[in-house]
Amino acid sequence: MEKLRSGFFSPVFLKRLRKFRSLKRGYYSFILIVCLYIGSFFAEFFVNGNALYIVFEGKRYFTLYNDASLKKVIFSRETELRQKATEILKLKVKAEGQEREKLESEHAAVKKEHDKARELKKAFGKHRNLQKYFDQEKAGNRAVLVFYHYGPNENLLDELGDRNPPTSPDRKNWFGTDDRGRDVFARMVYGFRISMSFALILTAFTYTIGITVGSILGYFGGKIDFFGVRLIEIWSAVPFLYTVMIVSSIIEPNFILLIGILTFLGWMGMSYYIRAEFLREKSKDYVLAAIAVGVSDPVIMLRHIFPNALTPVISFLPFSIVGGISSLVTLDFLGFGLPVPTPSWGELLSQASANIHSWWLMAAPVASLFLTLLLITFIGEAIREAFDPKVFSRLR
Amino acid sequence: MLTYFIRRFLMIIPTFIGITFLVFTVMRFVPGGPVEMAVLQYQQMQAEGETTGSGSDTEVRGKISEEMVEELKKIYGFDKPFYIAYAIWLKKVCLLDLGVSHTYSRPVWEIIKEKFPVSMRFGLLGFLISYTICIPLGVFKAIRHGTIFDISSSAIVFIGYSIPGWVVGLVLLILFGGGSFWDLFPLGGIVSQNYDQLSFIAKIKDSLWHLILPATAYMLGSFASMTILMKNSLMENLGQDYVRTAFAKGLPERVVIFKHALRNSLIPIATGLGHVFSLILAGSYLIEKVFNIHGFGLLGYSSLIARDYPVTLGVLVIGSLLKLVGNMISDFLYCMLDPRIRLE
Repeated sequence: MEKLRSGFFSPVFLKRLRKFRSLKRGYYSFILIVCLYIGSFFAEFFVNGNALYIVFEGKRYFTLYNDASLKKVIFSRETELRQKATEILKLKVKAEGQEREKLESEHAAVKKEHDKARELKKAFGKHRNLQKYFDQEKAGNRAVLVFYHYGPNENLLDELGDRNPPTSPDRKNWFGTDDRGRDVFARMVYGFRISMSFALILTAFTYTIGITVGSILGYFGGKIDFFGVRLIEIWSAVPFLYTVMIVSSIIEPNFILLIGILTFLGWMGMSYYIRAEFLREKSKDYVLAAIAVGVSDPVIMLRHIFPNALTPVISFLPFSIVGGISSLVTLDFLGFGLPVPTPSWGELLSQASANIHSWWLMAAPVASLFLTLLLITFIGEAIREAFDPKVFSRLR
Repeated sequence: MLTYFIRRFLMIIPTFIGITFLVFTVMRFVPGGPVEMAVLQYQQMQAEGETTGSGSDTEVRGKISEEMVEELKKIYGFDKPFYIAYAIWLKKVCLLDLGVSHTYSRPVWEIIKEKFPVSMRFGLLGFLISYTICIPLGVFKAIRHGTIFDISSSAIVFIGYSIPGWVVGLVLLILFGGGSFWDLFPLGGIVSQNYDQLSFIAKIKDSLWHLILPATAYMLGSFASMTILMKNSLMENLGQDYVRTAFAKGLPERVVIFKHALRNSLIPIATGLGHVFSLILAGSYLIEKVFNIHGFGLLGYSSLIARDYPVTLGVLVIGSLLKLVGNMISDFLYCMLDPRIRLE
């Protein structure tokens, strides 16, 4: 016990954490979603249009994120050969007799090489084509593709043959393609990363502001509290979604700006709970003792009261994340969310409502959204049970 | 109590001013506001109209747009400092003058007024359905707590929790709206095109036919939280001493639950009535968008798309007022229904 008490967290908190771990459904959901989220940062290694690496003329290029170095090699070779061919052609016009014949054969050789280089350059546009090209060439060059070789923002129009996007799911595109011929599965995977990051960062911001404001109001009380609460009341009455829509219709936000707007309009939720916790805790003996010893206000707030006021923070966290994901999906659906090529679930849903015959455009985002939110809700339920145990006793 | 409500009512005024001032300021200071937008549109229009024109008249064009900008600034009140512009706008709002829409060329209030019955039709039905389903379900789950029925229905509740109502609406629309699956219901809208020629009975049938999917979506939006609220509230009351007393004096279980416990557990549900007030009147942006219902919510959305700022602000004004009044009704109901509550 002595060891526990020395930490930042109170023993009660640690006990609750242990209780949470014993609730299997929530705990395994938590582990699963954490793994998925961490895994999504390595999504490029599994779902990507770029090759993992390309072996070109004995040299290995790591092309997963950036193929610029290889591109330079291939493109400059093509330019060189083209220039060489035109130079020979120029010389040929002046030359006569045997010289001319020699130049002609030289030109033909260079031209052949140039054609090859040009073909390579053309194939280089997509690493899948490059792989096919290398396979046909059989010259020891290799392009090693990742497990699922379509990227989220790649246009697949030329690979769909005579089919018009959106195309239905098949063995190549598991969840089909969307109305711009992009792979839906890849967009789902990257959409997960973006949605989760968005919700987590948004929650971090709103909680930081909410907790700061709430603790100041609760701790100092008096006039600050009175006016602060009135201000929060006014702020909470702002129609959240519509105001976000208004602002984002004017400034067309990016990731950071959108988080800024949502934080600006939605930080109030946590401040109420934290204020209540601080109001309750500040009259307790340990706080009075700390004041009597002469500990400064910020230290009392952060080191003494805050660890005891964590319950609402923890128990609302999963639901805030659910809220963050839903807000992003909603805004993207309405067209007031992240800028266009960003892989997004909400944008796919809006495509689904425009193409009702393409059921996969609806099924994929709904399933992803549902599974993600369900897992987080499970976590939330478990946390609530661990932190706020409500035992219903009942006469039978 | 009365003083509380008078004070509460008076609080609406600063709150309302706060909201509109916030949005007004944001619209004013954010780059790419209405004036810049209009100038941009105007320039685009000119550029498209003068594809044959050479570069010689660019000077003239610049002059025109400068005058235009001044004109536009006057229209939007940007020629004055923003607090004066806000005061003028607020004064107009108080006189119920929300301005004139650019796209409809009609007073904003008239347009908004027309939309209420449409939104109300869907909102009210959805609300009625959700209450008639969620309350009995919640009660039943509480009585049968821990049984197979409770656990299996909890699964449905979890689904409802983890997916927004409008997404379910979209799923329903694609499943039953004649996409790749069943063609049972219309693809949204309020009535069929040939509505005027239908007989009275057919008219009712047609309206209902259009109502079912959106109303279901509305219902599912509040399904999970409502059911759980009902269940937990009843469970809590069943653990109270007065229930124990009732059992002790030998009342049958049914009387204890329905006459004693249920009445008290309906209080939190009833206070939710105030919050649905604005939903009933103003509908939901998303469900109206999904089902293409031309109600209040969709008006707000399309005014944003069309950059029709008077309508946008009008929708904001009416929407926030409804929300504020709804909150007050909630508090009022809470006091009326639960005499233990003393607000001050």
